[in-house]
Amino acid sequence: MKRHISQVTLSLLASVALLSACSQNEETNAVSETAGVTLANGMTVKEQIEARQGHLERIGKAFKTISDQLKAGSPDLAQIQAAAATVPKEASGMADWFPDGTGPESGVKTEALPVIWEQKADFGDKVAAMQDAAAKLDSTAQTGDMAAIAAAFQTTGGTCKACHDKYREDD
Amino acid sequence: MTVRSEPVLVWDGAIRLVHWLMVLLVPLLWWTAEEGHMDWHRRLGLAMFGLVLFRLLWGLFGSWTARFAPMVRRIGALPSHLARLRQRDSTPSFGHSPLAVLSVFALLLALATQVTTGLFSVDVDGLESGPLAIMVSFETGRQFAEVHEFNFNLLAVLILLHVAAIAIYRFVLRQKLVKPMVTGRRPRADFAGADLPDNRARPAAMIATAIFSLACVWALGNFG
Repeated sequence: MKRHISQVTLSLLASVALLSACSQNEETNAVSETAGVTLANGMTVKEQIEARQGHLERIGKAFKTISDQLKAGSPDLAQIQAAAATVPKEASGMADWFPDGTGPESGVKTEALPVIWEQKADFGDKVAAMQDAAAKLDSTAQTGDMAAIAAAFQTTGGTCKACHDKYREDD
Repeated sequence: MTVRSEPVLVWDGAIRLVHWLMVLLVPLLWWTAEEGHMDWHRRLGLAMFGLVLFRLLWGLFGSWTARFAPMVRRIGALPSHLARLRQRDSTPSFGHSPLAVLSVFALLLALATQVTTGLFSVDVDGLESGPLAIMVSFETGRQFAEVHEFNFNLLAVLILLHVAAIAIYRFVLRQKLVKPMVTGRRPRADFAGADLPDNRARPAAMIATAIFSLACVWALGNFG
């Protein structure tokens, strides 16, 4: 009977190891096939994916600045205004960031889901809604009205989420 | 006729309350994060921070079975404890067994890591963040979030092992460990022959530790 405990422990550990091995396989199985293919805009598939990730990351960074300041006891309006101004700039041209062939099938690491290219019209609407909201966030920030900025920020964040919930892989 | 043995306090009230509140909060925290209810995740996360902080301080000021120093001293008995377990001799330890000491330290370390990284975490969109994320950059906040996510898996494995150990005690070693975690007490006869330490909790220490922990939670909740 002395094996009882070590057997249970071992099988537990083994299943954990097995699970992690499985999930690793899924990630490494995708072989990069078309990463180097040149798109109509002159960028390679990999460059295009990385470029849009760069834009989105800088938007995230600007959002954090705004969110931090809105939460702060004495918000720094200048920081909010600078960050709000970068959002529409970084978001401009977003509709063109997702040409055919720049989905996960390219083998490049991306959380963009294939459904983007299946529902282009809806995806385009959501992108446009975000750009509208971002422009309003920028203009509202210039007024300095904190309550209005907070509302515009929430609206903009909502347009991000609306798109991400449907078109981005859950992480 | 069985002679009813006088019950003896193994786990003080604070330990038990903290333990079962954690049992409640871990799944709720997981669920709120999974479903994106981040307002609730932050609130419950702060509550968990308070529980972990209280438990760590209680390891210094609490009853004998709650304190870390006697637990550390037990680790030396680990080899003989394991040898006895292999022979299915599960003479109850008063408080944590040497193996349980390691388990508790690992669980508390994972919990402390989880609540601390959560304070500084930022989501990928920069829209959601912990109460202290203002102190770090977006990139650093993202790294905290990565650790927060990875460490949750470690915590889940440790909880699984913890529950498995309780089940092994129940079904292999024929010892019920859940009931004393609820009532706090076991028959004195379970520890026959053992010289038991004074395991009383000091109410003043309990109140002071609770107030201090609550004050820290309040300060974090109103940071900025």
